[in-house]
Amino acid sequence: MHTAPTSAADYHNRIDEALHDDFLRRTLDKFAVEYRKSRTDVFQEVDERGLIKQIADAKDYACQHMDELYAQFKSEAEKRGVHVHLAKDAAEARMIIARIARQSNVKYIVKSKSMTAEEIELNPELERQGFVVDETDLGEWIIQLRHEGPSHMVMPAIHLSRYQVADVFQKATGEEQDREDIQRLVKVARVQLRRKFINADMGISGANFAIAENGAIATVTNEGNARMVTTLPRVHVAIAGLDKLIPSLDQALTTLLVLPRNATAQRLTSYVTWMCGANECQSAKGGVKEMHVVFLDNGRREISKDPLFKQIFRCVRCGACANVCPVFRLVGGHKMGYIYIGAIGLILTYFFHGKDKAKYLCQNCIGCESCANVCAGGIELPRLIREIRSRLTAEDGSVPGALMSAAMKNRKIFHSLLKFASFAQKPFTGGTQFQRHLPAIFLGKHSFKALPAIADKAFRDRWPSIAPKVSNPVMRVAIFGGCAQDFVYPEELEAAVKILGAKNVSVEYPMEQTCCGLPLEMMGQRATSKDVAKQNINAFYNGNYDYVVTLCASCASHLKHSYPKLLADDPEMSRKAEFFSEKVIDFSSFIHDKLKLTADDFVNNGEKITYHASCHLCRGLQVKEAPRELIKDAGEYIPCAEEEVCCGFGGTYSAKFPEISAKLLEKKLDNVAATGATTLVVDCPGCVMQLKGGAEKRKMGVTVKHMSELLAEHLKK
Amino acid sequence: MPEFNQELIEAFKAKAALVSAKVVEKATIADALQYAFEVCQAKEPAQLLAPENCETGPKGPLGCPTRATKILAAPSLSDEDFAALEKLCEGKNIACIKDNLRKHLAGIDVGFSFAELGVAASGTCMAITDKEDVRLSGMIAEIHVLVLQKSKIYPDLPSIAPFLRERMNGGKVSYTTLITGPSRTADIERVGAIGVHGPLELHIILLEG
Repeated sequence: MHTAPTSAADYHNRIDEALHDDFLRRTLDKFAVEYRKSRTDVFQEVDERGLIKQIADAKDYACQHMDELYAQFKSEAEKRGVHVHLAKDAAEARMIIARIARQSNVKYIVKSKSMTAEEIELNPELERQGFVVDETDLGEWIIQLRHEGPSHMVMPAIHLSRYQVADVFQKATGEEQDREDIQRLVKVARVQLRRKFINADMGISGANFAIAENGAIATVTNEGNARMVTTLPRVHVAIAGLDKLIPSLDQALTTLLVLPRNATAQRLTSYVTWMCGANECQSAKGGVKEMHVVFLDNGRREISKDPLFKQIFRCVRCGACANVCPVFRLVGGHKMGYIYIGAIGLILTYFFHGKDKAKYLCQNCIGCESCANVCAGGIELPRLIREIRSRLTAEDGSVPGALMSAAMKNRKIFHSLLKFASFAQKPFTGGTQFQRHLPAIFLGKHSFKALPAIADKAFRDRWPSIAPKVSNPVMRVAIFGGCAQDFVYPEELEAAVKILGAKNVSVEYPMEQTCCGLPLEMMGQRATSKDVAKQNINAFYNGNYDYVVTLCASCASHLKHSYPKLLADDPEMSRKAEFFSEKVIDFSSFIHDKLKLTADDFVNNGEKITYHASCHLCRGLQVKEAPRELIKDAGEYIPCAEEEVCCGFGGTYSAKFPEISAKLLEKKLDNVAATGATTLVVDCPGCVMQLKGGAEKRKMGVTVKHMSELLAEHLKK
Repeated sequence: MPEFNQELIEAFKAKAALVSAKVVEKATIADALQYAFEVCQAKEPAQLLAPENCETGPKGPLGCPTRATKILAAPSLSDEDFAALEKLCEGKNIACIKDNLRKHLAGIDVGFSFAELGVAASGTCMAITDKEDVRLSGMIAEIHVLVLQKSKIYPDLPSIAPFLRERMNGGKVSYTTLITGPSRTADIERVGAIGVHGPLELHIILLEG
């Protein structure tokens, strides 16, 4: 039923298959756009950030008190006639549930949706033991009939068309089905499943919350099947991960303000059912239901002690991380998880189903931060995925990136290699900024964009001749260049230097700086990534700068947010990292918020300009206003559809998953073309590389510029 | 006339409408019973989704036989009010029942029950469903009619915590349901559909007092 990729080649084949599934693409495209809008609408009535923080804090507390909460829940639930079990792993959980069924002379079982039941692969075992198991959630029933796993945690059958559903219903009922009418197809489930509810001896449900103060469980549903499952059969078994335990019902109520909004953009689901104790059941002995709650450990107690990964238990299974993921949107859930889907799925697969299952899947995060931005528990999802990659690297050294890591450990070797590349590529560039003549055979899947050429003369070598002489500076800044601008697009830095010099800002370029280390993180090379972080901090530490300005959003976000965390285990370096990170600022924010340049400083010639909001700027640094205001100062700003969606670069991601990167770029450029703008402005050289290459390949007549170039061109003399 | 927080009532009505609940306002319980009766009388007879030993009419739109005599279940009514409801239904081919809903799991026409309180922010009703018959009346009925007193509407979920806690703590056994609109799904192509396993319609009667 569930399969994980067994090799990189296998994974690429699966991805190709998904990319050619037109129905899937259309459905997920439509969903991504509609969801984003509806979610924004329903969050307007509540304090989104405040609630997310409350959920994170409450779940962190619960995670640290898992054993106590379990003991309290058990005691309270037992007082109310409920049997409480704790299974150490999936096999034990399956055994406990099968034993309950046998001892209670159960034959027919109905289930409502439970990701935990999926996690332990419960159905096959129950069926093997002779029980008849029927899923009753519409989506789960459909995929059960098709012998598949869910492709989304909330909408398990989102990958299927009405025709595929009609086919499977036709087979199940032996009756002709209306293949167009979705309303009718839904009613097939109403008719077919009612009998199963009535005949069932046992109901199995999940639990969204297990409340320690009163031993209650709660389910959050729309269809009403969970109420049937927990009411009609004489036995009820609820299965829940230990992470579902919370101290009191207040935390459940807070979570309910976010969970449905995040999952399906609903204010609340149709039903929230609070089951506190063994309740009335007229078909059971003595008129009281036999009720069990089976808690699943399966590694949870161990992970709860991990200082970093314990935050995965903030997950409330809303599925929002998949809903906003540009990669999920392209490949769907079956290619973006094993049983658990989406960003959290990549992580949970590693912990619950092992590194073999996670090895290739966990490479497939582009790092755009969209998920972290909406996560109900504020989980740092991309960071955790990078962390898993570095654990996989540590466990099994033979992964790509080792060679690069070795070179980058030493700045001089790394920079010499880059300069050598500038010389070696000459036959291919024809003197342009693109590698024009690489035979297509070398490019393969990478041919979707023109690849940039390494600049003849790196910025660091141009610096001595262009460094501005400023007396009585209004501010003192140092530039963090980053590899892409130092070696590929030095003109972007030069443009920035021109503006800074003209506005009387003293500028320095510390020569010992090197790669920020983000590419190393993306490839799981933690040790070298820490080395370059230290090199960079030391390169800037002794300078007397008001700000460290960087024109690369990805570098900025990494320098500012990751350095203190990366170096947290070294007290001396972590203090220096905090000091350094405080000073780091992106170019647009510096120009707009600190230097306070306005329309008066620029010539506005009415040029039509659109914008691509780089992931690490709009989400990583939450910078949204400054760049758009600056564009308005220099020309006519034409907003682009899906302006904040990733362009598909993702650093090394575009090399690892060129087929996905190409599709993301295609969408982005379609949206750019639709604006009719002649210039596309970007705040990150990585995105410039991707978008310039794509625009060149398409010959679309749009000039792609870094913000610094736009502003330098429009600066009043 | 007691004072109501009109703002909360209006907010409740707006949010309930957004989730396809039908909200009406009635002055007395007698008016509410009249409404439930009229809803039952106006609807097509319930379709039997499973075999049941009862008289059946022609097949309904789903291809299932229909009830020859409609069923209106009102398990939480007082004896007096139940008698009044029976009187309304007399001679109209509608059977009123108070218990043994398990005999009619194939589907009934209307379930009539009371909400303990409402939540304005989402148009939600909290129903006390400890008794199985009350629970079933909101699950197996094609139309669920819930009565909510206007004075019992609270602003948001956190503000109902004391009421929920009162029902669950101190060793109590309870089954409580928050209901927000009728049963729904979007599991096929994300197209919204109402009435999967539960009611096809939810009517909320806002009652004075």
